[in-house]
Order: sequence, then C-alpha cells, then structure tokens
Amino acid sequence: MPMKKGLLIVVSFLSAGLFYGCQQQANKVTVKPDNQRIPVSVNDSMILSIDRSSMDMSYFPEDYPKQKMMTPDLPNPVARVIYSRPQKNGRIIFADTSVTQNVIQHYGQEWRLGANEATEIEFFKPVSIYDKKIAAGRYILYCIPYPDKWKVVFNNNLFSWGLHIDKTKDLAEVELPVIKNNVQIEFFTMFFQNSTYGCDLVMAWGDMKAVMPVNFK
Amino acid sequence: MRYLLLAIILLCFSFSGLQAQTKLPALDKSPMDMSYYPNRYPVLKIQDQIAEPLVARVIYSRPQKSGRVIFGELLEYGKVWRLGANEATEIEFFRDVKINDIKVKKGRYTMYGIPNENVWTIIINKETDTWGSFRYDEKNDILRMDIPVQKQAEITEEFVMDFEKNQTGAGLIIAWDTLKLNLPIVF
Repeated sequence: MPMKKGLLIVVSFLSAGLFYGCQQQANKVTVKPDNQRIPVSVNDSMILSIDRSSMDMSYFPEDYPKQKMMTPDLPNPVARVIYSRPQKNGRIIFADTSVTQNVIQHYGQEWRLGANEATEIEFFKPVSIYDKKIAAGRYILYCIPYPDKWKVVFNNNLFSWGLHIDKTKDLAEVELPVIKNNVQIEFFTMFFQNSTYGCDLVMAWGDMKAVMPVNFK
Repeated sequence: MRYLLLAIILLCFSFSGLQAQTKLPALDKSPMDMSYYPNRYPVLKIQDQIAEPLVARVIYSRPQKSGRVIFGELLEYGKVWRLGANEATEIEFFRDVKINDIKVKKGRYTMYGIPNENVWTIIINKETDTWGSFRYDEKNDILRMDIPVQKQAEITEEFVMDFEKNQTGAGLIIAWDTLKLNLPIVF
C-alpha cells in the first residue's frame, strides 16, 4: 500500500507538471507553481488536492457565522473577506528589485494580497474608507507595496485569479502606512476588528501590518 | 521595593503576552477551498479563455479522514451534516438553475447533507453566513434531493467538492473517503 501511494503521488506530480507545462505554452498568463494544485483522479472525475496556501474568510462583526449560530435574527453582517494565506517560509516578503533571490514580491509591483484566486471583499452596506465612498457589493482587492506604505486598490474584476490585474477595472485606491509588528506572522492574515467609526481591516504578514479603516457609522 | 520591581516586571510580561495574543486567526485544520463552474473560471478569466458564462461557485472547508471511520461513526447516519467543516458550506448560483426539477434562483445558499449508507439527502437552504449545521432549520430549505452513493476504490483523504460538466448542465461532485455523490444541476 505505501508503495502504491508513493507511486500515485509521483504520477500525480508528473501529470501535474505536464499539465502545467502545457498550460504555460498555450497561454500568455502563466500560473506560478505555488498556485498549482495536484489533480487527483477519482474514477472519472478530477479532484483537487488541498492548496498549499489555504483559503480563509473573515467577517465583520468578528466571528459572525458563530454569532449567527447562537443568536437568531442577527442583523446582516457588514463585511466579509475571502483570501488565501501564503506562508513566509523563510523568504523575504517584499524587497526592491536589487534583491532577486528568495524574495516573494518587489516593491512597486501589484501583489494580489493573498494567493491563488483574487482576494474578494464584500460590503453588505455602503461604507467609506478615508474620503472614498464604496457602495455595498463585492470587489477584489490588490496591493502595491512600498517600504513605508501599501496602496490597496478596490477593483471590479470579480472571480479572477490574482496574478493578472485588469487596471481598467480599478474603482478606488487607498494608501495605508506600514506598521512594524513586534511579532512575526508566518501566514498572511486578514481580519476585521471593531473601531469607533466602524471597523478596521487588518492585514498582516511577517513583521508588517497595515490597517484599513472602514467607516460605516 | 523588590516586590514592586517584581510586580512591574510581571506586569510587563503579562502585557507583552497580551500583545502577542492579539487573536490572529490561526491556520484552519480543515482549510477552506472554492470550486467554480466552469472549472478553473478565475484562471480562464485572466487568460481570456472563458468559453461559457459563470454558473456556480461553492465555498467549503475540507476535513481530512486522518485514519478515522467516517460514515456511520464520525458522520451519524440520518443526522444533518454540514457538508464540510467550520462555516456552513456556501453555494452561489450566478444564474437561475434547476435541481430536482425545482427552480433555484440566482443567489447565495447554504448546503447540508444527511448521510445514509446507500443514499444521501442533499439540502439547499437559504440561511447564509452561519456556522456549521448547528442552527440548520428545515423551514429555510429551498429543496432536498436524494443522491445514490457511489463507492470508490481509491480513498479520498480530504473532503472535496467540485463541478463536472454533463449533458444537462453540471454535476456537483462531493467526495470523501470511499464516497462519491453527484448532484445534478440543470441549466
């Protein structure tokens, strides 16, 4: 049985590699290996294995689904974000272009604020972020990191993969200062927390943290 | 004086402890995932290769078998199961579809399953953004459909949901351990 399983894994990797190779030739936009999932065949269907950067979701109010389970007739949530959580894994998260080894992303270039599918945010009521009014609805988010600030952009190109940004669908852009954390965060993390004006969307990875104030009061 | 110093030091420690604890969500044991119909829609979209419009998306969490007996033990027969883990499994239709001959309007729904040895009942319910099946209420059901169990020789370690094209639309494949179900979605 272990032999068989080992063989299965090897075959899966090979076929995934082949699949990925073909993909690269056929298409302009390629999908990096870190987004690659190993298809596993269950009889006639192709079944996907677990992502290396697993998906997660956060609500405001915090833990809304659990609250809803306890409290009947809870009013609608305010916001929900669905994102994937890459792991730092000993790498440098952001650096300037002089650094070419072991770096995840260069400053000044678009980063999908997560992994895999584009990070999706939904507001269940209209909000404002600094002076930008954001209507209720769904958007994708991406980020342009700089050493001292993150430009976080709301974009309308929903249900897309995060590697290719269609800037013609940008909606609003906010600049958030980068705050140094005294703890290291291994997995990219997004969550909402309560604030006097509504809530904050906290984005944290490595020793960096950026906070987006969401005003709805 | 020494006690005061000790108290201050202890206080500092407890504060730094608190800071470190600013309850960052840990990585889930049963990670979340999503599947689209058409399959790999987000990738196709950025590659300008979309051949048919977006129909459905499921967001679910993936418990692992981890050597456990799943059916009849971890999942009791005849009891509503959340069809995943953590947040209630969510299915969204981007157009009206039909399941079990019942019209399901475009929108977000939750999904549950009632396991049995040979037939599972799959439930589409309209109460969204909730946790598990703990607050599942039959009166919010949109529909139920009985699906025959297909036994698999190969074990699926991680619970999985994915769409598969068929002649009348797509099937939502639900697989775990030796189980495979195929929920027909007509559009």
